[in-house]
Amino acid sequence: MKKFIKWIASGWMLILFFVGFFLFWEYSIPLFDIPRYILPSPSEIVLKGSADLDKLIYYTGVTALETVLGYIIALILGVGFGIAISFSSILRRTLYPFFVSIEMTPKIAFAPLFISWFGFGLMPKVIIVVLVCFFPIVLNAILAFNSLSNELTLFYQSTGASRLKTFFTIRLPAALPQCFVGFKYAAINATVGATIAEFIGSDKGLGFYISIVTGNMRPDLAFAGIFFLTVLGLTVFGFVTMMEKILIPWHISMKRINK
Amino acid sequence: MKNFIEVTELKKVFGDGEDEVHAFGPATININAGEFVSILGPSGCGKSTLMLMVAGLLDSTSGKVEFENKLVNGPKTDIGIMFQDNTLVPWRTVKGNIELQLELRGLNLKDYQEQINNILKSVNLDDFADRYPNELSGGMQQRAAFCQAMIHDPKIILLDEPLGKLDAMTREKIRADFQKLWMVKKPTVIFVTHSIEEAVQLSNRVILITPRPGKIDREINIDLPYPRDLKIKRSPKFTEYVNSIQEVFHKYGVI
Repeated sequence: MKKFIKWIASGWMLILFFVGFFLFWEYSIPLFDIPRYILPSPSEIVLKGSADLDKLIYYTGVTALETVLGYIIALILGVGFGIAISFSSILRRTLYPFFVSIEMTPKIAFAPLFISWFGFGLMPKVIIVVLVCFFPIVLNAILAFNSLSNELTLFYQSTGASRLKTFFTIRLPAALPQCFVGFKYAAINATVGATIAEFIGSDKGLGFYISIVTGNMRPDLAFAGIFFLTVLGLTVFGFVTMMEKILIPWHISMKRINK
Repeated sequence: MKNFIEVTELKKVFGDGEDEVHAFGPATININAGEFVSILGPSGCGKSTLMLMVAGLLDSTSGKVEFENKLVNGPKTDIGIMFQDNTLVPWRTVKGNIELQLELRGLNLKDYQEQINNILKSVNLDDFADRYPNELSGGMQQRAAFCQAMIHDPKIILLDEPLGKLDAMTREKIRADFQKLWMVKKPTVIFVTHSIEEAVQLSNRVILITPRPGKIDREINIDLPYPRDLKIKRSPKFTEYVNSIQEVFHKYGVI
């Protein structure tokens, strides 16, 4: 009960903060005489943005498709490679160091190359999203599947259970919490990848929209685009967090108790 | 007649060349069926290493282990095993964790429902069957882990300092639980510990291991009647056993 009141109180503080932030923004523009082609006020963003709503919604769909498609492909590849590397000593000595060294490269630097190789369509954007999402997923999956305690390993060995059975009853559930660390990190990266890919070369999508309207000196519309990108990012992240709660409820409750 | 478990000149060396660490042995041990044997020694003497080699969970450098004349050359599966850090998984309830042992062995869960209830009752955990491990105290977790290790009625139980992290009062209580279950089911128990009192209270025989590389200093038969309750623990004979063992370790400068 006490915790609940505390939660409500902290929630109110957050709402109050946001209201205060937007009020400050709204009224500091006339106050400091900021020209609207530099920084528009929130009310103007809403007003001008809603006039362009159809386009914004369509472009959100375009960017969402690139993001979600890329994310799902990265998820499948990342977990697949993660498991393969965890269970094969040859891959651990070859692919794993290779992935670690590529992780140090800013993946987004490949974006112009992919655009020039694959053109302006959906595919190069999806590839770039896969690229930025794949590494956090695969590296966390490797960590996850390698961190089973010594005791549990000896325990399942003493039961004589097959590798497949052990995988599904012990190794996989034990690995899920650490896997989700990667999934969540990748979910944050996914929209970033899609947006930047669209900046570089595209004819639709929110990234395309933002770069065009900014070029036309319309920061109000750029902010409207950013707002939709934020909503998209939050939705993707929220979905992954929800999956975490559904798939590993025991992990969430464990964290709550340890607090 | 051969012994139930025969350990012959068993030795373990980890690493090679300059990194070589002589962890245990060589040592020869014979254990009878239904015997409760404690392996007692200071930390780092290789007693856990010995236990894992007996279970076939760790390869030996030289020597051999035989169960009923059969050479051990891979993990033994007719055993129950328990460690200081328990093998309960956080995503299963107490009951689910006991069932984990059965599921991994491909046993039919339906046939064991009554036994699960009975074993939980015997360690006073019957009200906690549907709780998750992180909702239990350390002592309750170890009792649940004990049920997990015992549910399939293994002929051999291996206990690696299972009470190591518990407070004195809880240890006392769980020792009594262990003893009760052992007296009913009479499995062969190999109990690794560094508590002299614990070893004397529970065992038919205590095997004293020297500091690393662990070798057998001597074996002491504990000739006291079961169940060994508080009355026995206060008896002069009990104290005598404890003192004589303390003297051995004092000689090595361990205590």
